[in-house]
Amino acid sequence: MMLTLLLTPALFMFLVSFLRNENAKYLLALSSFAILFPIVDLFTFVKPYAILGTYLVADKLDTYVLLVSSIVGIGVTLALFDLDKHVKVSPKAYRKFYRFFAIFWVGLIFSILSNHMGIYWIGLELATLSTVYMIKTNHTPAAHKEAWNYMIVGAIAVSLILFGIILMYASAKPILGEEAMQFDLLLKHAKEIPSPFLFEIGFAIATIGMFVKMGFFPMNLWLANIERASFYPVAALFSGILESAVIVGFFRFSQIAMEINYNNLFIFVFIYTILTIFIVSFLIFRAKDFMRLFSLSGIEHMALIVLFWVSGSPFAALLHFGAHAFLKPALFLSTGVLESNGKFRIPGALRGYKGKRGKIFLLLVSLFLLAIISLPPSPMFFSELYGFGAMINTAKESNHMLGMIGAVLFLLILLSIIFYRFVAIYQSMKYEGEDQDKKVYAGELFALIIFAISLAALMLPDTLHYLKTII
Amino acid sequence: MVDFLIGLFLASLIVALFTTRLNGLLLWYAINSLMLGLLALSMGSSIDDDAMILSGVITILMKAIAIPFFLKNISQKFHFSQQIVPKIKVHYAIMLVPVILVFTFYLSEPIVNMIHTHANYMAISISSLFLALLLIMEHSGVVPKVIGFLALENSLFLLGTTATKGMPMLIELGIFFDLLMAIVVINLLFDKEEMRI
Repeated sequence: MMLTLLLTPALFMFLVSFLRNENAKYLLALSSFAILFPIVDLFTFVKPYAILGTYLVADKLDTYVLLVSSIVGIGVTLALFDLDKHVKVSPKAYRKFYRFFAIFWVGLIFSILSNHMGIYWIGLELATLSTVYMIKTNHTPAAHKEAWNYMIVGAIAVSLILFGIILMYASAKPILGEEAMQFDLLLKHAKEIPSPFLFEIGFAIATIGMFVKMGFFPMNLWLANIERASFYPVAALFSGILESAVIVGFFRFSQIAMEINYNNLFIFVFIYTILTIFIVSFLIFRAKDFMRLFSLSGIEHMALIVLFWVSGSPFAALLHFGAHAFLKPALFLSTGVLESNGKFRIPGALRGYKGKRGKIFLLLVSLFLLAIISLPPSPMFFSELYGFGAMINTAKESNHMLGMIGAVLFLLILLSIIFYRFVAIYQSMKYEGEDQDKKVYAGELFALIIFAISLAALMLPDTLHYLKTII
Repeated sequence: MVDFLIGLFLASLIVALFTTRLNGLLLWYAINSLMLGLLALSMGSSIDDDAMILSGVITILMKAIAIPFFLKNISQKFHFSQQIVPKIKVHYAIMLVPVILVFTFYLSEPIVNMIHTHANYMAISISSLFLALLLIMEHSGVVPKVIGFLALENSLFLLGTTATKGMPMLIELGIFFDLLMAIVVINLLFDKEEMRI
């Protein structure tokens, strides 16, 4: 019953996308809003709640991720109303976008709620494939090239994840049989897995696949190029929803790997993420347009979430994850207005806003920009405090305390480079350049307001308590 | 029989690496998929696993017949050049393939000891994975890259069959469904109207 409720809005959206009626776009938006209701309903059930036997099980973590994703979906839908005022988009492309958005949601629901490595992979692959066509809704040669690029690189990344899953399954099959695909059973019997080394190899390969999908080292620029070539709402979907599905997989796999050998997992992920942030910080320093800047900053934050998670602070990771999932789509959606007078016009991008709408937009974008670099009272400020605290605690307990503390300091230096760049860009946007009129439309403004309210809701005591009790 | 089929699977993939004609590449992909399907049928009947037999039949119907036929139709519809010259020269590729094979046999040694399966099956599965990646890398055209991706998927299927004696049926069907979805997306990306940019 719950599965039907969860899938009905997406299936309705898929069917409506075939209608050629002018009013169909309102029905499409309505179906996107409707996704939120069954997800809110999921919060009322005692967790873990079996949605489809042992295959799909809702626990506190996936209900939270689904809620965040559905709010991002609503924001994107609102922004889509005014997309044609910023860029050229045909009604046909608009309908096709929603057709694949519906498939994307089905894939996402399966991957996020799955308690099964195989179903997680199938859902993720479905979501990945459906986003390929979304990139192509922008009818430019660059978007066409990047859609193919995404198809090939995305498929390789997802294949690596499947490769890892096969090895993990093979390692646990002697004790669990066909049930060796279930996350909960694997976690329960992690210590009994007869070949832990095989599981770790599988985990490492699957993790590399997931990291490639999130734009980690060595694929730091592929996601930025794709997001640059697509429409703003597509980039918002990538950063706010698709990456959430990927990172949920990492959370699930790493919980098992932590039980098997925490030190190996920590060192592998620690080195990988620091390497990623090292490269990304310099790429951010050289970024000359908003889309690439936000995209690269997204990679930095995903790396931080991963780092906080493996450092033993799931609370910090999940708070950072929620804040990033709201902030980044908000910034991507506002890029449509910020780039009104050209792609590379950073100076003066925050000038020329008139009227009530303009002033609210100016205020919100300024707040989002400062929040993304973790200035208080941004949720990211608190998540980083908790996250770095956890990293120092892990360092104190390790055998290489000085090396670890040195690495944490190095990380802070890299983050300060990013901080400096963002502050410089913000100042250039606000105080340099000329006043040129920019128009803000109601849809995108509502989207930004929803994201701002959601961010504030993250800091409510009840929300923080919920996040603390997830793991 | 299984040894023979796995040998032919690997051989067809190696020949595909040296092919310079698009139709030839499609043919070798079809043969590669056929060997995979026959392998699943053979292994499934020897261990009496209906799920594996079913996935063998679907593999033959879908990957050895339907997909090559569909890709051939697309290449004719859009008049793709038949000439597909690999970026890596043949004399380098001839040296690279054995290096990959030897490397993977060495690489898979510790894993093979843990899986309790025939050592060569695992090594060949992993080496075919690397060869499929090489196929993707050595071509700049879209269709050869798509075939490389499909060959990669075949290698994973082989790994799943040999390392785990078959994945759960639900997962196998899900993977086939995703492959169908991939074909739909590829078709849309090739759509004539969309190609007119």
